[in-house]
Amino acid sequence: MGPLRSMRDGIGFDTLLIGFALLYLLAFAGLPLLYNVIISFQQVDVFSLGTLLHPGAGWDNYLSIFRDPLAQMVLWNTIIFTVGSVAFQFTIGFAFALFFHQKFPGATWFRGLFLAAWVMPGLVVGVLWNWLLSGDFGVINHVLLSMGLISEPIFWRSDIDVSLYSVILANIWYGMPFNMILLSVGLAAIPDDLYEAAALDGATAWQKFWTITLPMMRSTIGAVLALGVIFTLQQFDLFAAITSGGPAGSSTVAQYWSWQLSFREFDFGRGAVISVMMILVVLAVSLVYVRSTRAETRM
Amino acid sequence: MKQTLTALAFAALLTSTANVAAQDVTLTLWTESATGAEATFAGEFTEMDNGITIDVREIRFDDIVTENLRAFATGTNPDIISIDNPDHAAFAARGAFLDLTDLATASDQIDMDNYFPGPRSSFTWDGGVYGIPRASNTIALYYNKDLFEAAGLDPDNPPSTWDELYEAASALTDPDNDVYGIAFSAKASEEGTFQFLPWLQMTGGSFEQVNGDGAADALSFWKTLLDEGLTSPDTLTRGQWDSTGTFNGGNAAMVISGPWELGRMAADADFDWGVTLLPVREEGGPRASALGDFNLAIFANTEHPDEAFAFLEYFDSQAHRMWPEFTRMPSRVDVPLASTGDARIDAAAEVFTEQLQYAANRGPHPEWPRISRAIQDAIQSSLTGQKEPQEALDDAQSVIDGILN
Repeated sequence: MGPLRSMRDGIGFDTLLIGFALLYLLAFAGLPLLYNVIISFQQVDVFSLGTLLHPGAGWDNYLSIFRDPLAQMVLWNTIIFTVGSVAFQFTIGFAFALFFHQKFPGATWFRGLFLAAWVMPGLVVGVLWNWLLSGDFGVINHVLLSMGLISEPIFWRSDIDVSLYSVILANIWYGMPFNMILLSVGLAAIPDDLYEAAALDGATAWQKFWTITLPMMRSTIGAVLALGVIFTLQQFDLFAAITSGGPAGSSTVAQYWSWQLSFREFDFGRGAVISVMMILVVLAVSLVYVRSTRAETRM
Repeated sequence: MKQTLTALAFAALLTSTANVAAQDVTLTLWTESATGAEATFAGEFTEMDNGITIDVREIRFDDIVTENLRAFATGTNPDIISIDNPDHAAFAARGAFLDLTDLATASDQIDMDNYFPGPRSSFTWDGGVYGIPRASNTIALYYNKDLFEAAGLDPDNPPSTWDELYEAASALTDPDNDVYGIAFSAKASEEGTFQFLPWLQMTGGSFEQVNGDGAADALSFWKTLLDEGLTSPDTLTRGQWDSTGTFNGGNAAMVISGPWELGRMAADADFDWGVTLLPVREEGGPRASALGDFNLAIFANTEHPDEAFAFLEYFDSQAHRMWPEFTRMPSRVDVPLASTGDARIDAAAEVFTEQLQYAANRGPHPEWPRISRAIQDAIQSSLTGQKEPQEALDDAQSVIDGILN
C-alpha cells in the first residue's frame, strides 16, 4: 500500500524520476569516466581495446606523459588557449549583450542572427577559418595587406609563433554568440525599476553598470565563465580543421594531444592519462558552475 | 569403390557450391570513396546472379583506421576493408585480417607472382597473404611548361638533380605574380612522411635509418626551399591535394604529387604541363620514390570468407580498368596502362610506371603510425627552425630504434 500512496502523493514519483536520471548518468557518464581512469593505468593497444582486462601499467603512463618533451608546451598552449578564448568570448559577448539590450528597432532580430555562427558545426567553422587564414590567398591577409596594416602576409596556420592564436581567433568568433545569449538572458532578468530608481538618484550609465548590472549578473557571469572554460577545453574541431595541432606541435592543446595519442598512435593508456587530468580540471570548474547556478535559483 | 568416393565427393562439392549460390549473402565493404573502384566493382558484383550483395559504406580517409579499429574492437567490423597500405601490417600482424594464403594458392584468378614486389610486401606478413592490392601510386614532379618558357627554362628538359631543381625553383619563383617555384607537402601527417621518405632514400636512408650520412642534406634541402621562399610557408600545414591545387591554379610552377591528380589537373589547369621523375641527389645517383595506395583485406571474423574472397577475385580481374577509369595504376606486372585518350595523361603514365620501379614501401611494420610520427616530428621541428636537421633526425632515430628493437 505504501509505495502506491507515495506514487500518488508525488514523493515516490519524484524519486522515480531522479532514479532514472541517476541511472542514466551512472551508465552513460559514470562508467565511461571510471573506465577511462582505469585504462590510464593499463597498457591498452589497438587490438586489446575491446576486452575489459588489460595488463597493468602502474604509473608508467603518467610518468611518460610528464616526461614527454611535448608536455610542457602542451600545458602552456592549453592555458593560453583557454584563458585567451574565454576572456575575449566573454568580454566581446558581454559588450554585444549590453548593446542589444538597448531597445532599438531590430535588436532582438540581430541578436538572433548572431546565433547563426554558434549553431554551425565546429568542423564547418574550422574549414571556413582555414580558408580565411590561408597564408597566400586568405581573405584576412588580403584585407590587412590592402589596408596597409601589414607589409608581408602572415602565415597564420604555418608560423609557429602565430598558429595557436589563429585557432584562438576562430574560437572567439565561434563561442562569442553563446556567451552573448546567456548574458542577454541575465540582463533581461534584472528588474527595470532598479535602473529607474538609480536614474532618479542621478546615477550615470557607468555607475548603473558597476553597481546594478554587474552585481545582479554575478551568478550568470560565474556560470557563463565556467561553461566557457568547459566548452573551450572540449574544442577539438577547430584544431583538426585549421592547424592539425601544428606546425611542430606549436598549436597542440591537451584535448588534441589526447586524441592524437589515442587515435593516431593508438596509445590509449597515455591518451587516457591526459583526459583524466582534464576531467579533474573540468570537475573543479563544474563546482564553480554548480555554485553559480545554485545562487541563481535562490534569487 | 574409389570411383564412387570421388563421385560422392564431387557431388558434395557441387551441392556446397549450389548452396552458396542459393543462399543470399550480404557482405559489407568499407572504403574511402563511394564512387571509387571498390564501390564501382562492388556494384557490378552485386548485379551479378551470384546471390551475393555487397553493401558499401564510405569512410573519410582520415578516419579509416580509427573507425575500423573501433568496429573491430566491438565486433561490428565489415567483411571487407579497403585500407591504406602502411596501415595494413598493424591489422595483419595482430590476426585481425583473414589469412588468404590457401585461398590465393587455389585461386585461378589471383596469382601472387603477378604483383609488383612493393605492394606485395605491404599485404604479406610473416609469410602469409593477408590481402590484395587495390592499385599502386607513387610521386613524381609535375611542372608547368608555360611558366618554364616564361622563365627562360627549357620545358623539354625539366630538372633532374636536386641542384637543378633548386635553380629551376629559384628562377620560377615570382612573388609579384604570386608564383612559388615549387609546391609539396611537409604536413605533420602520413602525407608528410610519404613525401619526405623518397628524399631520404635518395641519400641512402630508409625509415629504419633516418639519421645516416646525407640524411640531414635531404631535410636541409627542403628547409632551403622554405627559407628562401621558393615554396609557400603553408607547405608545413597543407596536404598534397591542396598544394597541387595551387599548381593547377598557376600559383606554383612545379608540384610533387601522384597520378591520382591527373584527372583533376587535366580538367582544371589551363596551361601546358608535364611530369618527370623525381630529381636525384646528384647525376647518376640512386632513384627513389614513395609507394602508396590501398589494399583490400577480409576481416578474420567474417562469416562468409569464400564469398568475400570471390569479390576479391572479381576485383583483381578488373585490374585493366584501374588506369583508364580511375587513373590508378594497377599493381599487376602483367597489366599495361591502357591509353586514356589524353596525350598528357598517357605521357604521365609512362613516367609514373618508371617511377614506380623505384618506389619503396612504408614498413610493413605493425607500429607504423608511431614510426611515421617520429619522422613527421623531425620534419616539422627542423623546418620551423626549432632543431637543426641532424639533431631532429637523431631524435627521430632514437624513437624509431625504440620501436624497432
